[in-house]
Amino acid sequence: MFSNSMADPRRQNKILRYKPPSTDTNPTLEDPTPDYMNLLGMIFSMCGLMLKLKWCAWIAVYCSFISFANSRSSEDTKQMMSSFMLSISAVVMSYLQNPQPMSPPW
Amino acid sequence: MALNDSVSLVSLFCVPCPSLSRPNFCAPQMRAQLLLPFMLLLLASPMTWGRYDDFDDGEDLAEFDDNDFAEFEDLSEDAGMEPEATASPRVAAAPASDQDDDDDEAVVEIEDAQDDFEDTETPDEDIKYDTEEFEGFEKSSPSFKDPINIITVPSHLQNSWESYYMEILMVTGLLAYIMNYIIGKNKNHRLAQAWFSSHRELLESNFALVGDDGTSKEAVSTGKLNQENEHIYNLWCSGRVCCEGMLIQLKFLKRQDLLNVLARMMRPVCDQVQIKVTLNDEDMDTFVFAVGSRKAMARLQKEMQDLSEFCSDKPKSGAKYSLPEFMAILSEMGEVTDGMMDSKMVHYLINHADKIESIHFSDQFSGPKLMQEEGQPLKLPETKKTLLFTFNVPGMGNTSPKDMDALLPLMNMVIYSIDKVKKFRLNREVSGVSSTHYCAVGIMNEEDPERQRRLEVSLVCARVFWEECTEQS
Repeated sequence: MFSNSMADPRRQNKILRYKPPSTDTNPTLEDPTPDYMNLLGMIFSMCGLMLKLKWCAWIAVYCSFISFANSRSSEDTKQMMSSFMLSISAVVMSYLQNPQPMSPPW
Repeated sequence: MALNDSVSLVSLFCVPCPSLSRPNFCAPQMRAQLLLPFMLLLLASPMTWGRYDDFDDGEDLAEFDDNDFAEFEDLSEDAGMEPEATASPRVAAAPASDQDDDDDEAVVEIEDAQDDFEDTETPDEDIKYDTEEFEGFEKSSPSFKDPINIITVPSHLQNSWESYYMEILMVTGLLAYIMNYIIGKNKNHRLAQAWFSSHRELLESNFALVGDDGTSKEAVSTGKLNQENEHIYNLWCSGRVCCEGMLIQLKFLKRQDLLNVLARMMRPVCDQVQIKVTLNDEDMDTFVFAVGSRKAMARLQKEMQDLSEFCSDKPKSGAKYSLPEFMAILSEMGEVTDGMMDSKMVHYLINHADKIESIHFSDQFSGPKLMQEEGQPLKLPETKKTLLFTFNVPGMGNTSPKDMDALLPLMNMVIYSIDKVKKFRLNREVSGVSSTHYCAVGIMNEEDPERQRRLEVSLVCARVFWEECTEQS
């Protein structure tokens, strides 16, 4: 028993609580993909709405999906949902204004 | 001749009468009734026969035509001219035929009739395009020189789904992305659970607290991983001798992102397990040491603040310790290398060389180099005594949950390293280097940038001098 207590490395009194690493000290460790994709999605949505370009609206939908897939769990879901809804509305509005099918760029 | 024929017809009628079996047929009243229409017929036939006689003469025909078609003077002039021309050969032919076949029936000459039809072709054109009758007709006639424009019906009016093929492609792509997201997320989750289930026993026997998210009031083991992302899982272990705590990060590939999956097809990457052990001040002596693959060592030497500050520029070969050729060592001094590379450690390194990316022991760990502006004093980054381990999961991306068991010996190596670093103490004879080590810390604390640079230069000279001395000894 004495050997067991000596061998046991666990110490209850040495417990430290987990502290999430702050991003201010190590900004390079953060993945910037979800933020970039969010911004791109918003830009493409606005282009699709203003310029009535269907392909812009579709790319915006893709950007919002990619941003969602790469997002951190701690991120606010409201921003994700808002960019997603904006891209969907861009697609719907561009087809309501012009029901013709999208022509390929080539 | 006609009268003789009619008489012969009557006689023929009358003769066979008595031969008939019916006597009533031969009654005088009946005879008179039948005779009457026959008489009429006989009277009419000479007149018709006479008509044909009239047509036989070519001269009479021309005069007859002129009389009937007197209204169409133009046509009759043309028609009259040619029939007159043909009439003369006909007249020439007719008397000849009459003379030859006087007793026989008249020969119908078809050749002349055909000539008549040929002659009438030109008058037809004149009938169509008579300028007096059809004034302004030329303008309304369609000209065949204008090109025919075929207007395409707009696609959305065609009512066909085939014209929306681009939209169908887009939706298919989105569905594929969603499917990949679900599949990738589930795979990463299964890999994380597999790793935790294989390492759980070892961790629980070494640490009092296994799994903590920092939010609960009491320090109780959650017994599960913290999911930071769909591809990053954390585990905090604490409550052990020789260390403050251990943070394990399972950095899987972004299997939930289809773009990343496609990029990995071009450049294969491994899943990684990063272990960061933070130590108390009394748990570690003052040294910096790193060992791992040559590529990783070169990269760390450039990126890490402490490795670039205290270690040599080029990683050294580990052949002295029978390490594989692709492995290299970055060390502050030889004493540290000899102290760290004992037999057990070498055994671990040789047996699991393919899974070890890098091992980094440092008492001045502050993370990657921060970009500093010129002219401003160096900001002193917070340093911590840290042991860092980066392991590659076998499989090169195509990892199965069973591969997680292969990482268990490496966790044993981590536990062994913690205990070893606690026991390792530098020889007091090498205190000169230790003093340069502390001088470097003092330089970083210096606020004046010019004075800082002068001190750095003197430190470098002192280090070079000391290394030459140790090599000679």
